[in-house]
Amino acid sequence: MSQPTLTLDDFPSTAPPAHSAPVEPTAQASRHWPWGRILLLTFASGVMVLFLFPIFWSVLTSFKPAAEASASPPTFWPSHFSWQNYAALTDVGVGIGRYLWNSTCVSLMTVIGVTVLSVLGGYGFSRFRFPYKSVVFMLVLATMMIPFQSILTPLFILLNVLHLHNSLLGLALVYSTFQLPFSIFMMRNSFDCVPRELEEAATLDGCNVVSTLWRVMLPVVTPGIVTVALFAFFTAWNELLVALVLITDADKFTLPVLLQSAQSQFMGGVNWGVMQAGISISILPCAFLFLLLQRFYIHGLIAGAVKA
Amino acid sequence: MIASLSRRQAIAGGLFVAPCLAMIAVFFFVPLAMTLWMSLHDWPLFGPRSFSGLANYVQLLQDASFWDSLWFTTRYTLLVTPALFIAAFILALVVQQPGRLSGLFRTAYFLPVVIGMSAASLLWVWLYNDQVGIFSAILMQLHLIDEPVQWFDSANSALLSIVAMVTWKMTGFTMVLLLVGMQAIPEDLYEAARIDGANRWHQLRYITLPLMRQTFALALTVSVIGSYLAFDQFYIMTHGGPQNSTIPVVFWIYRAAFTYSRVGYASAMSVVLLLILIVMSFVQLYLLRSDD
Amino acid sequence: MNFSGRATLQLGASLLMLASAWAQADDNVTFWVRMQDSAVAQPLVKAWNGSHKEQISLTVIPNDDFITKFGTAAASGNVPDILAVDLIYVPQLAKAGQLTDITDKAKALPFANTLSKAHMRLANANGRQYALPFSAEGSVLLYNKGLYKKAGLDPNNPPKDWATIEANAKKITALGGGVKGFYFSGACGGCQIFTFAPYIWASGGDILSADGKTATLDKPQVKDALEFYHRMWSSGQISAGSKTDNGQNFINTFLTGKVGMVGTGAFAIGLLKREHPEIDFGITPFPGEKGGTGSFAGGDSIAIPKGSKHADVAYQFMTWCLSDAVQTEYFAKNGSIPVRSDLGPAYYKDDPRLKIAFDAFSAGQAPYSDKFPQLINDNNGPWATLVQDAVYGGDVNAAVKKAQTRFNEILSSK
Repeated sequence: MSQPTLTLDDFPSTAPPAHSAPVEPTAQASRHWPWGRILLLTFASGVMVLFLFPIFWSVLTSFKPAAEASASPPTFWPSHFSWQNYAALTDVGVGIGRYLWNSTCVSLMTVIGVTVLSVLGGYGFSRFRFPYKSVVFMLVLATMMIPFQSILTPLFILLNVLHLHNSLLGLALVYSTFQLPFSIFMMRNSFDCVPRELEEAATLDGCNVVSTLWRVMLPVVTPGIVTVALFAFFTAWNELLVALVLITDADKFTLPVLLQSAQSQFMGGVNWGVMQAGISISILPCAFLFLLLQRFYIHGLIAGAVKA
Repeated sequence: MIASLSRRQAIAGGLFVAPCLAMIAVFFFVPLAMTLWMSLHDWPLFGPRSFSGLANYVQLLQDASFWDSLWFTTRYTLLVTPALFIAAFILALVVQQPGRLSGLFRTAYFLPVVIGMSAASLLWVWLYNDQVGIFSAILMQLHLIDEPVQWFDSANSALLSIVAMVTWKMTGFTMVLLLVGMQAIPEDLYEAARIDGANRWHQLRYITLPLMRQTFALALTVSVIGSYLAFDQFYIMTHGGPQNSTIPVVFWIYRAAFTYSRVGYASAMSVVLLLILIVMSFVQLYLLRSDD
Repeated sequence: MNFSGRATLQLGASLLMLASAWAQADDNVTFWVRMQDSAVAQPLVKAWNGSHKEQISLTVIPNDDFITKFGTAAASGNVPDILAVDLIYVPQLAKAGQLTDITDKAKALPFANTLSKAHMRLANANGRQYALPFSAEGSVLLYNKGLYKKAGLDPNNPPKDWATIEANAKKITALGGGVKGFYFSGACGGCQIFTFAPYIWASGGDILSADGKTATLDKPQVKDALEFYHRMWSSGQISAGSKTDNGQNFINTFLTGKVGMVGTGAFAIGLLKREHPEIDFGITPFPGEKGGTGSFAGGDSIAIPKGSKHADVAYQFMTWCLSDAVQTEYFAKNGSIPVRSDLGPAYYKDDPRLKIAFDAFSAGQAPYSDKFPQLINDNNGPWATLVQDAVYGGDVNAAVKKAQTRFNEILSSK
């Protein structure tokens, strides 16, 4: 295997071999014109700064004392680090701990629901023939085009009839459904990429349909599962409007509802420091999970695990 | 034997897809049917409803503000989609090789994706703010401007400011979609091309781009649908201003239901929007269909 | 095939989860309030629960999403037992039959004639009473005494007409260094009714007829007020951010200490004293063109939605909130204007500025219309557009004409 394009990692020619461990070091790499790589590296780093700066700035500001956080023009470095803005969040409603717990519950239920259903569905759509399969599949995909803001009222009436309104389970079911079309699509593609021979071998070894899926297929489609689970988590963790409408008890509200409440003072006037604290708290778990799982997610995809 | 095998196939397949179809039927198709039903009514947010047949649809056809907002949404889509594609494609090329540095960059580019759209909008509305925002402050520090920039001052600059935010937030997602497509191209094709003396540009032009057609179709469809359903960023960042110039169609639907108290009319708009999106998606997929 | 067992198991598990969700019927009396009132509502509910058998559970809802939430709830008949809602929404809710008629009980209240007139007027539809006052907020003109002194103005002599506001604003802007004489949130309909309409009222004009059925934007006072704002904008007394501010900087700009005058609410007095002791400020009612005063009398009304399962407790709670002790302890002493005119002193005895706010509120008004959300609160509605077109665009006559037509269209729609 050789390098078809410039790469970033073979730039530092003195780099320890571990750097390029996944790639076989090649003779070609050392013949690259170094300016190309310097340019590439500068560009990539510049874009990285652009992408990370807003997040960094928000987190930094969340630790400024309130007066500095809302100073005009903005101050650049906090005079001292303060938990003041986070403390303000704990005073809202029933306390931030409860909201975090609710959000965690809803997100985990959503992740479980989406993962289980989309693995089953994706496998079914990928590996089995049944009547009207492609029509059904198109219908599933078409639901991606429904703006959920416009089915808010019917959804509420429906959940009321099912006695699922004002419950975190009901909320998780709705989120799961929102995520399903995308997830089924992802999982079907993941299964499509698994060579048939793998299943045939499993069948010869005496596996039935379920154990083939469980023991043979699942390990191979892990990147797909992680992707689906991550996006389910992001959706459930961040969604505001449905949570606000479906949940009525203050002690069942999720984090985004708290943020929306906390930052509004009067006539929409905003407390900037508290807002940044809220944004930082809402980003943290998502970023953490992503960093933890990206090995399976991006890296898994890139390393060719799903390559046909 | 064959008949029974295919029956077993059908039953097994049906059982696998049944749970997710049931969910979608209950939580998507039932509310959708109700929306359709409501669209045939004069259905205020509060108070008594009455059947009105196709009156909502008739009014909708003549409602210039609905078509204006649809046109605005189209313009937004036409800006966001190429912005996302170009940025994502360049970044995908930059980080496509495995390795620690590429990994770091990939992570950084993807990180904004994990933030919710409403949190991202709140974050950027603050960055853009003329009093406390950092963007104007930096430009003033560099003495490029004397007064804070009013990013949401005119229709165009408000739109572009939102496009910039969305590009920041969503490029990572499109980048990953494209990366998956790039990785699916067999290495030996490049190998063969190099032996034939193809340079890097030729490889890009004659191998990468054509073979990524399906990936493009997918990423394009996702981006177009997402843009047509845009809501949070406008609701939070511009509230539709200045002078009603940034009201995408879902915002209109929301306003019709909850400000104008006309849930039936809003339902009719939703149905029309859904139909338009379905038609557009089919056209896109048809145009970008794979040759085989 | 083995998976039917798994499927059964799954089905069982999900049924179990469903059942557990079903079981959670709870008997508490539910009470919804918007975020703006949470600071008074939370201790209030706590006190009630400490002294009463019937427990109330409070739900605080973000300001902007209140109607979305109540609307979807009403659509399925799943309403709270008690509702505290921005007083301007009461005509719409009452007309749509969403609120319980409490006319006879309300008349019998011993303090009935001391209750906020603006609240009572908006809670009245066709002679029937549908709500009682809950919380009050009056709008006033806030000015920075420090900047007044620096500009050579008398900090104890606030403006009593528009010409003085303009002249003072010019002197303050002339201080330079980013200081501006005046500010208002220009892309926010709600802010405008709160802090701009009072100039019109103070001059003897109005935006709606007394019955709320027709627009009166073509009256000279409206044009004059718009021109007054336009003059200040075009001569640079207002910072450029005003044009696109949809309320986010409603009070924030004043907190930076770089704005001479801004229209705001009584809430700002407590906020400034608490969080910005460095700013020396004064307040005054909004003046009319040649004198007179005006104010928006706002706040929340409290009502029993149709479908409330605990209407009796709800009414008990409503009247309990209006009792001497509660109004004094939980509203007045908490920095919130009491909704009973006889209890004012408990609120303002420590700070003469609070007296000004209280008087402004007591003499203030709020427009009566069941179309208020479309007309006024909608940041893309005709009221917000009128200010945008006239103040920033400059063609006041055309803007007024357009808004007058649009107002009447909406008012005459069903």
